[in-house]
Amino acid sequence: MNAGARFGAAVLAMVLAGWALASISSYDVIADVDPSRASLGPSLDHWLGTDHLGRDVAWRLLKASQAFMGPGLLACTVSSLPGVAAGALAGFFGGPIAYALRYLATVIATLPRFVLVLLAITIYGDNMWILGAAAGLAYAPTLAEAVYNRIDSLKRDEFVLAARAHGLGSWRILWYHLLWINCRYLVGRHALYLFSYTLLLETTLSYIGGFGVKEPTPSWGNMLAFEFGQRDGNPWGAWAPALAIWLTILACNLLANSLVEKRRA
Amino acid sequence: MPDRLEMRRLEVRARDRMLLDGVHMSVEAGEILALVGESGSGKTLTARSLLGLPGPRPGIVSAELLIQVDGCCHRPYAGLGPAPWSSKLLDKRFKGIRGAVVGYLPQDARGGLDPLWTVQRLVAESITLGGTSGEPADWLRRAGFDHPAVVQPLYPHQLSGGMAQRVSLAMTMARGSRFIVADEPSTGLDPTVRNGILAEIRKLADDGVGVILITHDLRLVSRLARRVVILHQGKVLEEMAARELSSATSTRAREMLLATARISGGSR
Repeated sequence: MNAGARFGAAVLAMVLAGWALASISSYDVIADVDPSRASLGPSLDHWLGTDHLGRDVAWRLLKASQAFMGPGLLACTVSSLPGVAAGALAGFFGGPIAYALRYLATVIATLPRFVLVLLAITIYGDNMWILGAAAGLAYAPTLAEAVYNRIDSLKRDEFVLAARAHGLGSWRILWYHLLWINCRYLVGRHALYLFSYTLLLETTLSYIGGFGVKEPTPSWGNMLAFEFGQRDGNPWGAWAPALAIWLTILACNLLANSLVEKRRA
Repeated sequence: MPDRLEMRRLEVRARDRMLLDGVHMSVEAGEILALVGESGSGKTLTARSLLGLPGPRPGIVSAELLIQVDGCCHRPYAGLGPAPWSSKLLDKRFKGIRGAVVGYLPQDARGGLDPLWTVQRLVAESITLGGTSGEPADWLRRAGFDHPAVVQPLYPHQLSGGMAQRVSLAMTMARGSRFIVADEPSTGLDPTVRNGILAEIRKLADDGVGVILITHDLRLVSRLARRVVILHQGKVLEEMAARELSSATSTRAREMLLATARISGGSR
């Protein structure tokens, strides 16, 4: 693990810890309004100060992780289950069904993912879980394509023939040797990219407003929009969510880049 | 009656071209049979047909394979219906034969190892599959590694060609195969390492394993094998005792012998 990956893992661990803390805490985002302490700078009572309604920025920052953590994980699950299964089966067995699946994946890949997700939340409701599921489904063809290509090139390798000659069944070769041993980093990489993509989607929509998480429920996106450009405000009110978005996405990408199969010397 | 593997009337066709035409051979437990021929004569295809793995393109259209082990007779190609047979069907018929009865040492030994597994895990899997006892280190030692602890944590890309050969040998031994098809085990190795590998194969045969040694190196044949089958363009040209090799009658075989002799400076 290189320095970047360690940094990424540490940041993601902190985000996870913050999420867990926010989930068990009794902090009430709605009750915590107190104009008498609006726009305070950082202090021991309020580590990142308060926003212009007097709400604690640090708590809202932690609480906002609930807006993307669940949907992000849902997106990873929703894209991996069909994506990996379809990619692996089509790559290993080939045939006309594989051809049809690839064609379908190509067609879906031509549609902009952002538009697909917007469409889904317009039709099925402005809910972050639906956003996560839609992002996952929209990403599934990309993942399937990647797994397909990897399996398709690996299945011709001599070691697959040797494994067969060794008495291993197709099932074990496919799911264990090809998929688990040789594709897990690939899938992990895509899952991390997808997670950061879902985070970006959620914060973008919440920032723009209209869709996404709305006040008073905190999201890093709407926190940024709420505090951005406030005169005489607490600068951390905007800087903290902006840095949080930037650091989390950077962490996902750094960690994803370290997940590389070391096949060659 | 000793354990025996016999192939008869092997025909493999790709579209309208015959790749193998009536190839036949037989090997007994503890015997080394050499299968020689120039590149493209069908050696590897013959080897894979012994395991029901002809590859994606060509189809086996006829084959009679009889494998006799412990008084139990396997005829995986018998009664398969109209040819060519699908790989799925062959997978089913060769279940319990691949690995357990007939092992395979692939031509590219390093390519034959899962690239993301350590040697330790590779050999451990063979032990589990074969139901044999012992630690990976024991089998590696038996395949000629003096310090197995050094090799065990390595990945295939870190192995030299000779080491990879020994690892796949250890895997085949741990798997408990009764017959081994060795596809050009000596290619690309320096003479010292090659002699080591061949000594291990010799030892294996002495332990009662039947070996089908595929090679185009005729010098090996006279040293190791008892009998030779010479293939040419998918047909068996001659079958003879290895020590009579120099008295081969067909022109093809004589040509090959001469070419070998020229390369090795006249000393076979």
